[in-house]
Amino acid sequence: MKPEQALAAARAAAAQRDDALAPGMSIQPTKRVSIEQLMEWANIEPDPDLMRSTRKLGAPITWVKRQLVHVMRQYLRELQSQQTRFNLNVLIRLAELEDRVVRLEERAAARPEAPAGPPPAGESPHGERA
Amino acid sequence: MSVLNVHQILSGAGPYDAVTTQALAFRDLFKRWGWGGRDVAAEIDPRIGDRIAPLRTLWAGATRPDDVLLVHYSAYAPKLRAVLELPQRKLLISHNITPARWFWDHDPQAAVVCALGRKQLPEFAAAVDVAAGVSLYNARELGSETVIPILFDPAGLGAPQAQDPQAGPPTILFVGRLAPHKRQDAIIRAFELYRRRHAPGARLVLVGAPINWAYDAAMRELADELSPGHVTIESGLTREQLAARWRSAHAFVCLSEHEGFCIPLLEAFHFGVPVIARAIGGVPEVAGDAALLLAAQDDESVAAELLELAVADGELRAALRERGAARVAAYAPEPTARTLRGALESLAW
Repeated sequence: MKPEQALAAARAAAAQRDDALAPGMSIQPTKRVSIEQLMEWANIEPDPDLMRSTRKLGAPITWVKRQLVHVMRQYLRELQSQQTRFNLNVLIRLAELEDRVVRLEERAAARPEAPAGPPPAGESPHGERA
Repeated sequence: MSVLNVHQILSGAGPYDAVTTQALAFRDLFKRWGWGGRDVAAEIDPRIGDRIAPLRTLWAGATRPDDVLLVHYSAYAPKLRAVLELPQRKLLISHNITPARWFWDHDPQAAVVCALGRKQLPEFAAAVDVAAGVSLYNARELGSETVIPILFDPAGLGAPQAQDPQAGPPTILFVGRLAPHKRQDAIIRAFELYRRRHAPGARLVLVGAPINWAYDAAMRELADELSPGHVTIESGLTREQLAARWRSAHAFVCLSEHEGFCIPLLEAFHFGVPVIARAIGGVPEVAGDAALLLAAQDDESVAAELLELAVADGELRAALRERGAARVAAYAPEPTARTLRGALESLAW
């Protein structure tokens, strides 16, 4: 068979088959990170054991780096606290917004279907009060 | 013939990174041409040694106004912005950044970096003297028609075997990062259909480092669920081990939904392995007439039937092997080196 004929032949052969795999057998999005997990991450606490060198004969370099971390601990704690403050504030804002969306969705679901027509006086088509 | 100082600037450099490998191959060429310059990167993996210097050394005073800067753009790197302010003439080569949409569900951090990188790229393209892509597909994303392909040297891969792999259960291969846009999940499904219909003993080998452990675990779970015992997922292979995988493969299947160039296509052609691929991005351009290309509407069932044809039809295999050799010749290092040299010399004062 010539390469130009292969796709048509494959399509014809596939059309004869009725052995499709069960739906749903594909990669699902990996687990979404929960808000609780985000809170845990927001409070950053780097593990000093992760400070290491990947160079050849890196053991002495690792030792020096860890000493530096120790010497600079006051400054690093300041950095950590600033970053953590930012992380937590963003997270709180996110949690509030999520909560608000849920409440709005619940309220919208509970509201009886509005008849079609122009919005009431004083309300914009987007539901905002003028 | 002009003698240039070309400084290469990379977003990041690492020992196994394709863009770093490309930059180092370019540097070898520059040395052969008697050109000078140095290679710097915004982020450097220490394992790369002193072959790539930190970006800041570019400002150390050793550059002259008539030097040329070659920017390899492959990832978001805010530090590179300062390079645009330098007075030297600049050539940008885009190695393509995958759109973020494939990553949000599996690796949000990668998605953010991809989104920022793609947002920043037009700014870079507008600020350089020549913007090029490694494929026409990449170049056109920048509004350019200049192509400087990947410098592909098949000699480094080892010799292909003279004949088809030995008879026995077929081995289907895919080489590429274990990532959502590469759609290894679709490959597993297509393979399983092929195995059930035509070759119960067939094996699928997926070679490539995963984007993260969770995605790796999910892919292995899918393989175990659909085709237990028939799928191997591996990464971190040596060059020799990778060559061995190519030599034992009966077909290469690529169902990626985004590819800027797809170097494994050329590797498959070099080893004489028939290729089945989805016709997206830079794939049709690189594959030419040497691959069996699936259209967007073709599902995994069609891919499975193409696999059967590619494995079992001797005439088809021979034709694809011959055409593949022509594609390798089209991407031979010499013409690519000439194109690169021409682009750089056009920027000389």
